[in-house]
Amino acid sequence: MKKIVLLCASGMSTSMLVKKMEEAAKKLAYECEIAAYPTSEAKTKAADADIILLGPQVRFSLPQIREVCPNSLVEAVDMRIYGRMDGKAVLEFAKEKLGE
Amino acid sequence: MEGSELAAFQIISAVGTARSCYIEAIQKAKQGNFSEAEKMIGTGDDAFNEGHAAHTGLLQEEASGSEKGINLLIVHAEDQLMSAEGFKIIALEFIDVYKKLVH
Repeated sequence: MKKIVLLCASGMSTSMLVKKMEEAAKKLAYECEIAAYPTSEAKTKAADADIILLGPQVRFSLPQIREVCPNSLVEAVDMRIYGRMDGKAVLEFAKEKLGE
Repeated sequence: MEGSELAAFQIISAVGTARSCYIEAIQKAKQGNFSEAEKMIGTGDDAFNEGHAAHTGLLQEEASGSEKGINLLIVHAEDQLMSAEGFKIIALEFIDVYKKLVH
């Protein structure tokens, strides 16, 4: 089962997105673990993630997150999808990157 | 999702993108890539303007009396907007400093 982690500055906008993604995953019958954390907790909480998704506000720290979590895929979420809180689209994006 | 909540997320996403663009512009300048740095500022401005437009929509709604109230999410949108604005000012100064360092 894949672990998907969302990172943003405070964890506020991403925690809403987690809910939407979990709804979408249920509809697709796709088993996964989804969690949201602030970027400051990347090393402790996200290092075991299969994929880490960055909110637009923290996209600039992509290189650092890749360094700190070398065993995870790290990608930035598209601005429009994030702005619509489109859980389904973010989930599909994650699945695509994971090759599923 | 309720109207003002969606507007808040759109603002957060757009101005958050702008913030990242401005910071990435500094990173480009640090690498000596000044034309890319300038492009990044431009991309950031486009994203910021989108967020600003959505924000103006909320201000107009409030001015016309539809009192939606303050919640943490809209506070976060405001703080991201001001943060993006601040980062642009700082990014432009940093780019100038990096330019001076290579000349």
